[in-house]
Amino acid sequence: MNLLTIASLTLREAARRRVLAAVALLTLVTIGLTAWGFAKLHGAMLLRGDQTFVLGSFAILVLLIGYMFSVVLGIGAAFVAAPAIGSDVESGVVLAMLPRPIRRSDFVIGKWIALVALLVGYAFVAGGIELALVYVISGYAPPHPLRALAFMSAEGVVLVTLALALGTRLPPIAAGIVAIVFFGVTWVAGVAQSIAIALHNDGVVHATTIVSLLLPTDALWRGAAFALEPAAIAAAAMTDVTRESPFLVGAPPPAAYIWWTLGWLAAVLAAAVVSFNRRDL
Amino acid sequence: MDDAIATVELAKRYGSIVALRGLTMRVGRGEAFGFLGPNGAGKTTAVKLLLGLAFPTSGEARVLGAPLGDLAVRRRIGYLPELFRYQDWLTAREVLGLHCSLAGVPQAERRAEIDRTLHVVGLEARASSRVGTFSKGMQQRLGLAVALLGSPEIVFLDEPTSALDPVGRHDVRRIIETLRARGTTVFLNSHLLTEVERVCDRVAFVDAGAVVETGTIADLTRAFASVRLRLQDDAGVAPALLQRAGRSLRLADGWHTVDGLVEDDVPQLVASLVTAGVRVYAVEPQHASLEDRFLELLSTGEPADDRIADSA
Repeated sequence: MNLLTIASLTLREAARRRVLAAVALLTLVTIGLTAWGFAKLHGAMLLRGDQTFVLGSFAILVLLIGYMFSVVLGIGAAFVAAPAIGSDVESGVVLAMLPRPIRRSDFVIGKWIALVALLVGYAFVAGGIELALVYVISGYAPPHPLRALAFMSAEGVVLVTLALALGTRLPPIAAGIVAIVFFGVTWVAGVAQSIAIALHNDGVVHATTIVSLLLPTDALWRGAAFALEPAAIAAAAMTDVTRESPFLVGAPPPAAYIWWTLGWLAAVLAAAVVSFNRRDL
Repeated sequence: MDDAIATVELAKRYGSIVALRGLTMRVGRGEAFGFLGPNGAGKTTAVKLLLGLAFPTSGEARVLGAPLGDLAVRRRIGYLPELFRYQDWLTAREVLGLHCSLAGVPQAERRAEIDRTLHVVGLEARASSRVGTFSKGMQQRLGLAVALLGSPEIVFLDEPTSALDPVGRHDVRRIIETLRARGTTVFLNSHLLTEVERVCDRVAFVDAGAVVETGTIADLTRAFASVRLRLQDDAGVAPALLQRAGRSLRLADGWHTVDGLVEDDVPQLVASLVTAGVRVYAVEPQHASLEDRFLELLSTGEPADDRIADSA
């Protein structure tokens, strides 16, 4: 019950502090600008090639836009989640709330539920509108749009969980920055892994695999990329591993990796609860 | 009947810093208890430990008969923190609604409970204003309303009047008196000793993380009373008699002042003066204030000496 009270309070705060309004406005502006850009590009592409050329070009465009969207989603997730607990501790809000008959775990998990709901809702609404726009203008639809949005949401949920857990101990800014640095390092490790595979350097491959297990964001993006790219692009990546990159993915993450990610989320959330449970306020 | 609060050697250490050295005290149910001490004495730390906001390094404590942090007991506790802040994007009524929900006040009773507490602290007119628009004093009134929600059995007030004007302080005194009359235990942390003196039954002086002295206000102040006398002492016998009765003697503007005697000793002193032929024109017993006792204890108390010795 208290868990839902905290979740609803967090959602109300996002609405009252105009976070939702600001995000909605920015999304509308972005959608308007990209719709205009897509229409212009579509016209220019038709002058230089046929519909196949248009579809191929838009497939690459969707991958690039999807990548940018996932980065914005990840950074936004980290910056929204990092102060969720830390700022309540710093401001003294928790001093008034936690002497009430409320478990600290309810406080942490209630915040997490609200942040995840906000993030997944935003990812599916904004991402869905953008993909629908591409389809209406160009006729291109990625093979698995919902799966792609689910992978991108999962990437955001990983960062929400990490930043929230860090925020149980670190000041809000530090928690946000640390989460984003980890996010960046994992992306670099993913690129390094692609190069290492091409060069058959097992040491680097193993090291970067460990990084992708410690923070599953890059592998989840590759899952989204695979769901966005047409079969021909995936086939090219499969046949020539030297071409594998964050934008050219031969295979989605294996089922075991999805289970690993779910376990990672549960473990980090549990660590956040334990960390906050033991904190002197 | 159980004590409202009972602690035995409750201690808290933050790394190398000792915030609370070993707090042993009892607070009876229905008492208004003043918890006094200088800055850094460990008062707020003690309250945080009692409320489960921080965890003791050692020692034991029970609040309303239950171990620290007990969820069921927390339903019966109200708390106004010293460094408080409520969600500034909520209205006063919404903050109270949130705390009703967290405290488990039944849905059907919430509206009446919120109206009651708003009325008690005089915030009805601003019930629908956002907390972010409140002055510090109004936020403190709101904090008091939050602490009173659900008619708790024990209320912890940490510096409840620090931001209030004289009218607000008067209101807080009135609220504490009402709580006490209703049988609610009040645990009051305050630097404003005159206020503590007016509303509390008993006080504990804390210094360097331990209780230096506990007692009723009357006990603590009576021990350090003084008496002013206007005398005609032709034989010059008065000084010797007065010095024998008290701890020290001062003479100024024709008044003899004897410090450090118990009030009950005054009639005997006057009788001995009269018997010795001294003419007594006026006798004015002076009650030591809580502040006098506070300063006395903290300037000569052993814990303070220990602290100085430790730092030397």
